[in-house]
Amino acid sequence: MSLYRRITNLFSRSRVERDIEDELRAHIEMRVEDNLAAGMSPEQARRDALLRFGNPVGTKERVAAMDVALALENIWSDVRYGLRQVRKFPVFAATTILTLVLGIGATTAIFSVMNAVLLRSLPVSNPQQLFYLNVPTQQPYGAWNTGNGDTSFSRPVFEALRQDRRAFSEVMAFAPLSSDSKVAVRIGDDSPEEAFGDMVSGNFFTGLGVPMTRGRGFTLEEEKQHAAVAVLNYAYWTRRFSRSPSALGQTMCIKGLPFTIIGIAGEDFPGVEPGQVTDLWIPLQRGPELNPWGQSGDLTLYGSPDWWCLMLIARLAPGVTAQQAVAEATPAFQAAAYASLGTPDPSHPKVTLALVPAKGIQGLGDNYREPITILMVLVILVLIIACSNVAMLIVARNASRQRDFSLRMALGARRSALLRQLLTESGLLVLSGTLLGWLFALGGARALAAWSQLEVNLKPDRTILLFTCIVSVFAALVFGLAPLRTATNAPVTSALRATPSTSYQRKRRGSAILVLQVALCFTLLTAAGLLLRTLLQYEQTNLGMRTQGLLVFGITPQRTADSEARFIFYRELLDRMRSLPGVESTTFMDNRLGGGWSNNDEPTVDGVKYSSEQVPLRTNNVGPDFLHVLGIPLLEGRDILDSDTQTSPRVAIVNETFVKKLLPNTNPIGHQLGDPKDHPYTIVGVARDSKYRSVDEKPRAMAYYPYTQNGGAFATVQVELRTNGDPLALLPAVEQAVHEMDPNVPLEKPMTQAAVFEDSYSQPRLFSRLAMFFGLLAALLVGIGLYGTLSYRISRRSTEIGIRMALGAQRQQVSRMVLRESFQIAAIGIGIGIPAALLTGHLMGSMLYALDSFDSVSLLLAFMGVVGISLTAGYIPARRAASIDPMQALRNE
Amino acid sequence: MAKNDLQGTLDLLVLKTLSQTGSLHGYGIVLHIQRASDDLLRAEEGSLYPALHRMEQNGWIASDWALTETGRKAKYYKLTASGRKQLQEAEKNFEQLVKGVRAILRYA
Repeated sequence: MSLYRRITNLFSRSRVERDIEDELRAHIEMRVEDNLAAGMSPEQARRDALLRFGNPVGTKERVAAMDVALALENIWSDVRYGLRQVRKFPVFAATTILTLVLGIGATTAIFSVMNAVLLRSLPVSNPQQLFYLNVPTQQPYGAWNTGNGDTSFSRPVFEALRQDRRAFSEVMAFAPLSSDSKVAVRIGDDSPEEAFGDMVSGNFFTGLGVPMTRGRGFTLEEEKQHAAVAVLNYAYWTRRFSRSPSALGQTMCIKGLPFTIIGIAGEDFPGVEPGQVTDLWIPLQRGPELNPWGQSGDLTLYGSPDWWCLMLIARLAPGVTAQQAVAEATPAFQAAAYASLGTPDPSHPKVTLALVPAKGIQGLGDNYREPITILMVLVILVLIIACSNVAMLIVARNASRQRDFSLRMALGARRSALLRQLLTESGLLVLSGTLLGWLFALGGARALAAWSQLEVNLKPDRTILLFTCIVSVFAALVFGLAPLRTATNAPVTSALRATPSTSYQRKRRGSAILVLQVALCFTLLTAAGLLLRTLLQYEQTNLGMRTQGLLVFGITPQRTADSEARFIFYRELLDRMRSLPGVESTTFMDNRLGGGWSNNDEPTVDGVKYSSEQVPLRTNNVGPDFLHVLGIPLLEGRDILDSDTQTSPRVAIVNETFVKKLLPNTNPIGHQLGDPKDHPYTIVGVARDSKYRSVDEKPRAMAYYPYTQNGGAFATVQVELRTNGDPLALLPAVEQAVHEMDPNVPLEKPMTQAAVFEDSYSQPRLFSRLAMFFGLLAALLVGIGLYGTLSYRISRRSTEIGIRMALGAQRQQVSRMVLRESFQIAAIGIGIGIPAALLTGHLMGSMLYALDSFDSVSLLLAFMGVVGISLTAGYIPARRAASIDPMQALRNE
Repeated sequence: MAKNDLQGTLDLLVLKTLSQTGSLHGYGIVLHIQRASDDLLRAEEGSLYPALHRMEQNGWIASDWALTETGRKAKYYKLTASGRKQLQEAEKNFEQLVKGVRAILRYA
């Protein structure tokens, strides 16, 4: 048969079938003719011919199956038949597809985030060779650090490691240009803005193997010269220059210093900063204006060998494993680490080196690993519920088509043909569910990234596609197996019986699935309850201050290397802010409250020194009227005042916990804090405990120093404004005032103080919302499944119920019988679900705040949820059962 | 050991018939096998047609519609070049099968 004919046959099944029919008919006719010639009667001749030939319909089917073209054509006809079925039962199809979309979409969306945060490698050449360098022991005793104890290294260590080529073929260093916010950037005459910038070693782009979209990366020579050149992120180039090639060669001001743009990095390269997208890179700089971490004090990159401020990422030398590299590099590392510090104190453990694969998001990956894994488990439970629901739906529907199947088999259809048709139908459902689920997942992942404020690349990649395919194949298998039973079990003999009987076994199996679903649903609801209660705990936590009406933003004076110049700038800023209309009061602080940063110290009280293990002391440098502006109650003494200047006696305010731990049973006012030989601070006030870094922290001893009295002026101040109206409405006037002082200075992260604290628990909020969504989804799915199964059973048992009622059963008894079934399933399900829920709660321990993992309220909520679902799902079928008319039901038999 | 099964035997019979008669329809093949074997062999008519279509898909035989002597339209099959090769193969296999079976029967 020619290919052309095969293809044309695809569109004309009738022609091929007619061909076969003609051929077979010719055979029988010829036999009849011969029989007649042999002297049989016409009836006898035909009977004999048919007897010899056997079942012509079956033969025709088998002949047709031999035709490849026809096999293809069969699938097409199955698809058309399947589509017709979908049109005929739109509610069934819509329910199935929607369930699948939610199941597959939600799993894929969560997996995309998991992929980006935990699994995805950098888009560079041979990313598997790249490792972040870590110091698990933290910096050596006596070294200065940046607060990133386990990821930072000193410059001498970096130089030593990059010399030694046996362990690493390349070691790249990078450090952010500011500690907690972005740096001021100005392009041309535009107003200043913020951008996230890193200073990096000369081999950064070549060593990582970052493909360049345009221009070039840095050279080692440019690192040595501290050249004023910059490379832009592709996304930043897109946002700021609309991908114009003319960006190359342009000059941009970074913290007021001019840099020439020489290159654009590859499209997907986000930089190597944990969880952040770097907008621009410059070579390592020497000047004090562009110090790593925006440090303004005495520490500089090239002047302070003991300052551990560079983060390192290294490429393994060819053929070297991570373990070998660590062993190889450790002696050089330790030598360099102690070179400037002198002989290490034997009582302190020696520093060690560790390698962390540059996969997913470093640092963040650890914070997110557990919650994401738990979310993944929750969402897979939802998927299981969804799939089993759809499988039950399909089985129930196929059971009601049993007679149809039996009839067709009695007429000569083969089991494999039936099975193929059922599989095609399932396949259609899974296929459309997967396609729509994929779209749902794309949107869902984007929404998730936006909610979580995670700057990660969620672009779908091969891993995600593969994952979705596996999930769909799993779903398809579940649905594939469901009709298999129906098709192979269709009893030909009982085909034409009037009432199909329900087998006890099948009913038991259906109930087992439902029980499992209820158990999973109970577990999910408990998890959702725990996370919801955690969120409420966060929201109801007393912060110890009045955040309403507070606006906060950062200000970094530009080109003021000198501390005195900054003090003058800050004094003028304070005066200008105070005189703004609508501003009730204003103050400064070193670390933004709720921003996650703090200064930590070892307290010395009245000459007695405490170690940070005994009493850790947190400190913040603040402006005048601090307690008043923040609304932190003053318990004793006075607030910081304008009169507390560089030259006035040094003073401090401490909090309740400080007094409780360090000065109990005495009036704290007048006691001395700090080294008695070095101008100690006199305690002049006691404030109530309040939150500092985040909402979930425990009360700690705290000291507030005037910003004028604790060392030089810091590089950035956080300005706090109190107003009676909407804090954000102040912004235009504030911007104007700052612009008048210096047009190069932007407002850094302006937001309400309340929002700062809310952001500090954005991760728990996100997870609790997601868990609630999954919990409700599971409840809805289980409810639908329970309702569908119960109604289906009632419809099959209507005769039995009719007989019961005819024999005197009351309507109430009948409806109670149905409800009892629903409750039995729920009870067994909860029984199985309780240990599972307790286990889940235990695993989630670290995600909970101010809550026991065996939280009875959450368990009770889940219990009530499940009871509510089974009551609702059972109510309508129960009413329907009670309203069965016995006469009608019996007549139907 | 060569592939020997019943299906192979039906194939062999059909291929041999077509090589002896040139071109024939299904009914004619049934009659020929019956006649040539002195009524010893009877091709099962229900199995013949699936076999014919399978062999056609394999490219061993080709088909065409033509009129019979009595003026009826019927589908005629004839051997292709690759069918001829297949026939040689099948004959060789069958000889071996017969030899093998005979050896077992004679084994004392």
